[in-house]
Amino acid sequence: MEFIGSLIISGLMNGAIYGLVALGFVLIYKSSSVLNFSQGHMLLLGAYIFWFFKSSMGLNLYLSLLLAIGVGFLIGILIERLTLRRLIGQPLISMITVTIFLSLVIEGFVSLIWGSYPLQHIAIFSNRCFNIGSCVLTTQNLYAFGLALTTALALILFFRYTNLGLAMRGVAEGHQIMQGMGISVKKILNISWGIAGMAATIGGIILGSTLGFRLGLSHIGLLAIPAAFIGGLESPEGAILGGLLIGLCESIVSGYIGNAAGVPAAFMILIVAMIFKPYGLFGLVKIERV
Amino acid sequence: MLKLSNVEVKYAGVILVLRGVSLEIGKGTIVSLLGSNGAGKTTTLKAISGLLHTELGEVTAGTIEYDGCRIDKLDPEQIAKMGIIQVMEGRRVLEHLTVEENLRLGGYIRNRDNITKDLDMVYDYFPKLRSLRNSTSGYLSGGEQQMVVMGRAMMAHPRIMLLDEPSMGLAPLIVEEIFELIKKFNSEEKSSILIVEQNARTALGVSEYSYVLENGRVVLDGPSSKLADNEDIKEFYLGLSKIGEKKSYRDVKHYKRRKRWL
Repeated sequence: MEFIGSLIISGLMNGAIYGLVALGFVLIYKSSSVLNFSQGHMLLLGAYIFWFFKSSMGLNLYLSLLLAIGVGFLIGILIERLTLRRLIGQPLISMITVTIFLSLVIEGFVSLIWGSYPLQHIAIFSNRCFNIGSCVLTTQNLYAFGLALTTALALILFFRYTNLGLAMRGVAEGHQIMQGMGISVKKILNISWGIAGMAATIGGIILGSTLGFRLGLSHIGLLAIPAAFIGGLESPEGAILGGLLIGLCESIVSGYIGNAAGVPAAFMILIVAMIFKPYGLFGLVKIERV
Repeated sequence: MLKLSNVEVKYAGVILVLRGVSLEIGKGTIVSLLGSNGAGKTTTLKAISGLLHTELGEVTAGTIEYDGCRIDKLDPEQIAKMGIIQVMEGRRVLEHLTVEENLRLGGYIRNRDNITKDLDMVYDYFPKLRSLRNSTSGYLSGGEQQMVVMGRAMMAHPRIMLLDEPSMGLAPLIVEEIFELIKKFNSEEKSSILIVEQNARTALGVSEYSYVLENGRVVLDGPSSKLADNEDIKEFYLGLSKIGEKKSYRDVKHYKRRKRWL
């Protein structure tokens, strides 16, 4: 009982972060139908930038959080402006290829500057423990979980209730229609990338402070892909749910079967889910889809 | 207000679609543009609204002037902000959004404070949309979707509204209703309207002035009432031919020959 309890807790905690990163996928996919394979590496870069502000510059915690998130936003905008803007209207495969190799470029950039060894640990959250029943819960887990979910919730509300969010959903439906109404699709896509960069950075900071700041952080992008697909590529709520599902499954399988089985199990769930629900749980069912 | 002179449009640099179209739309008037499939009607609208640029099309000769300034090189977003809104053919609703969300996006470029007032205006024109405001627009019927896209354009308070085949695929009664509303919108909001139509009878009935487009050229134009009496128009667009009489090739498409002589 204790064992499964702690597995569930760590699963949910990781899952919330997967969900947050998956949300980045959803953000970009929704507005431009591009699957951004570099999302995981944007997370890595975001985490390292936070580390830079906190450790190298010695700024205080909140200031470096704020700065890192701001820079994350700028990085998203910059990536869109420099690479994908030129590819609007070009074959999707070329955009996807760009994002795949962009991730390698980012990784190279990070290891060039900060080296490929794990960096010194920064604890954001205090490490107190308390018990719920027989399960041990650290405040660190709790904060990380809460922060990831809050960010996700904020984004969901943003999509539903703000004008900009509405415009993003509109852009997802048809670029030409939006241009005809005087809405600049380029600007909206640009902002979407910015927000995705921000979400990635927040995920990176949470993850870095729990797992350590190291290059391996980008692998989480790999696990966020099944999360996004299972939830449905257009649905922010689905991304979170998919993330939690993948997190749970990964942690339980690796707990009972063995560490090596965790990640493949997540992908197996993805394959099964795709077979039975090709659009994901909350994805928009359209006729022309990849 | 809007003036096209000798506009030539090429797609992808090689396909010549418009071969010198000239037309004019005055302030607050309804003008219709008739023609068969492939005549270049939609292309003319897209040249005006700038949406041509999104489809590899380009105005290669001639000018499009709006209030004295050339707009043929501008982006569609800029043109829309200047007050020219195109309602594209085929009822292009934003499927997964609700009716009200569609309308809100139509008013995106306007002052946010007026949005409730504008929504009310659209719901007054289309009372049916008020009850459908929270339905997903992709599941509406064709007539309702046409109302959504027209309402969405109205939200922007366009100075010129470009309507591409509003009657396409709709039942005659609904077509009538929609054209009534076009007239009402024109007289109440003082917007100019350019209608592209296959349904010549209705279009001639509602407009003041009409142009007939064929093979990328304006072959005939005049006040709509006069065009409705034209023998060629009657025969080719209104389907009023002298059935059973012998016809000679000499009489066929009279105006086409005449234009060639000019």
